[in-house]
Amino acid sequence: MGSLVLRDVTKRFGQITAASDISLRADSGRILGLLGPNGAGKTTVIRIIANILTADEGSVTLNEHEVGAWSQEQMGYLPEERGLYKKIKVQDQLRYLAQLKGMPRMEAMDQIQYWLDRLGIEKWGARKVQDLSKGMQQKVQFIATILAHPKLIILDEPFSGLDPVNSELLCDIIAELKENGRIILLASHRMDQVEKLCDDICLIAKGKILLSGDLREVKRRFKREKLALEYTGSLRLLDELEKKGTIQYLERSEDGCILHLSDGCHPRDLLEQLLLVDGLELFRFELLQPTLNEIFIQTVGDS
Amino acid sequence: MMSRKSLLIMRNECWRRVTSRTFILTTLLGPALLVGLLALVIIGVSSSIGDEFGGKNESLRIAIIDKTGVLGDQMIRENDGNHVLFHFDGDHDSAVEDAVSSRMDAFILIPETIISGTGQPVLYSFQDRGFRVQLELAGIIERSLKDHLLLEANVTDDIRAILDRSVGLDFALTGYEDAQSTANSSLDVDATTDDVGIVMMGTILALMMYMTILIYGTLIMYGVIEERSTRVVEIIVSSVRPIDLMMGKVLGIGLVGLIQMLTWLLIIIGGLVFASPIVGLFVDPAMVDASSQEVLSSIDLILSELSIQLVMAIVVYFIGGYLMYGGLLAAVGSMVDSPQDAQTLLIPVIIPIMAPMMFLSVILLSPNGAISMGLSLFPLTSPVTMAVRLAIGSVPVWQLLISLASLIVSVFGAIWVSAQIYRSSILMYGKKPSLKTVFTYLKTC
Repeated sequence: MGSLVLRDVTKRFGQITAASDISLRADSGRILGLLGPNGAGKTTVIRIIANILTADEGSVTLNEHEVGAWSQEQMGYLPEERGLYKKIKVQDQLRYLAQLKGMPRMEAMDQIQYWLDRLGIEKWGARKVQDLSKGMQQKVQFIATILAHPKLIILDEPFSGLDPVNSELLCDIIAELKENGRIILLASHRMDQVEKLCDDICLIAKGKILLSGDLREVKRRFKREKLALEYTGSLRLLDELEKKGTIQYLERSEDGCILHLSDGCHPRDLLEQLLLVDGLELFRFELLQPTLNEIFIQTVGDS
Repeated sequence: MMSRKSLLIMRNECWRRVTSRTFILTTLLGPALLVGLLALVIIGVSSSIGDEFGGKNESLRIAIIDKTGVLGDQMIRENDGNHVLFHFDGDHDSAVEDAVSSRMDAFILIPETIISGTGQPVLYSFQDRGFRVQLELAGIIERSLKDHLLLEANVTDDIRAILDRSVGLDFALTGYEDAQSTANSSLDVDATTDDVGIVMMGTILALMMYMTILIYGTLIMYGVIEERSTRVVEIIVSSVRPIDLMMGKVLGIGLVGLIQMLTWLLIIIGGLVFASPIVGLFVDPAMVDASSQEVLSSIDLILSELSIQLVMAIVVYFIGGYLMYGGLLAAVGSMVDSPQDAQTLLIPVIIPIMAPMMFLSVILLSPNGAISMGLSLFPLTSPVTMAVRLAIGSVPVWQLLISLASLIVSVFGAIWVSAQIYRSSILMYGKKPSLKTVFTYLKTC
């Protein structure tokens, strides 16, 4: 089983520390989501992993070997700042980029045809990049990233510029690559996609890791302060609690509501009280997990 | 040793450029323009040769107001028939009147004092008659005056012949051993060096090296700027080391230059062969043949000056210069977002390329002088300067060794420094380039 491991990685640019003591691990067959606000240091960390920048301190290993020129052939990198040669034909460009990754020419040609078909742009292979729409260029860039069978795939905002249908198509391919045992690093601001795809997350802000680990565990670590109720009957009790400030309605309908519990209100106490209410039939009493978006906003806000 | 990836980049850089429409057009049209220009020169030269021999020149009617009373007749005798010379008995004002009524095109006033050497003749005309007419007439007057004075002094023909003799001076390069071997024998005529050939070769060589380094070096810079501005560079440097990318680019574009120049050479040679009949439509074919012969004999003259050692030395300096400047210009390109931003950083790189061209006449006139020596030892100016010096004369071995050593060290140094700047700056967007930034990049390496 392969893995990418960063240990206490620090990178400074003059007086600015872009990454400070970053330690993280990404395993094959899993997707690690690299999250953080703009200017958090994600791109610096990614460039260090891709061996574009060298860390001032710490180490980066891919399958237990220090990254270097050798590891560049083992990784595919889709940078946030997209770039292709405008005046070169799609297939020539893809072949060149695959060859730079060490892929033999003929194999590259076969793979190019396969991926162009798979992404529905097979008719555009002989056209110059400048003739393609932004979405199509994005697909070409994605193909360039995964073409040479990289063990480590780094995707920085892979869904930007794509419509929902193509986003879904890319999601399927990424999931498939994960099943094939690749190590995948996904940096995105699209929390819904990250939540859907990632197994682990690492949240960075101001060059430091604020939060990391298995996504489900991270969610569990966060206090469940939201409660979903479904019922029939009168619930004057809740109105009284709201007046006292113990709870706060977030959503309300005829047969249910979503509540925010204040610090002094324990869910078990509330349930006991509700069960004592005459004529109330309770169908659902669920402590809701926080969404990744909420975790992101809360963590970054607190920092 | 070049890496496999550098080779791949080199091939890609070369292939995508030589197959581009722009390259094909410039490669084909460049020599067409040059051959056209050459044809015009040949036509011009041919017609001036025609003028020289009285073919199609403008014949002027020139009156002589001779105040000496003796030189006028002599001048009419000395006239080679190019112009019509005749006596005019009036003064300056009446001559002007005649000139107005078109009875003459110009007139010469020969003062009496010319005999004693204090007066100077004057050519009057309403139009500018050109320097050539002035020279022709001055020659006639000078010969007439000389004849008159020698006759007055009763100088015999033998003494005249002595006075008319002129001596040239040939120049030959020779070392101590050569001097020993030639001490007992007369100097071999073949060993002499033709100074016209030397100057031509030196100038052509300097121009070629200067132009090539500048044109293809700038092309490297634009290539780097293109990769930066299209952001494709981030993908490339995630696959290859920046130095491999830079070297691949420098060598790939160098190869493009080589292909372009070889193509040009072939087209120009072909053009010269086929241009003669076309030019022959406009001028006398005999004149064209004479001009073509001139060109061919000049080429022959240049080739006769070349030896294998010399060619090898020139190639070494050329490659060294190209690599050094190619690397530096790639570094300049890596620091800017657009060609306009490159201007500030280009100045310190361009000036050393231009320096040997600015001092070319000094180098040609005094190849072993202090300026020539200084420029050929300083690595940034040595490629052009030393190549020219080697082509036109002998260079002391110690200078050659110092120059080569400093060039080799500088080539590696320049490539290393450029690679460091390239590596640090290639992904830094939006920064205004300055020399301070360059030092910052070097410090962070």
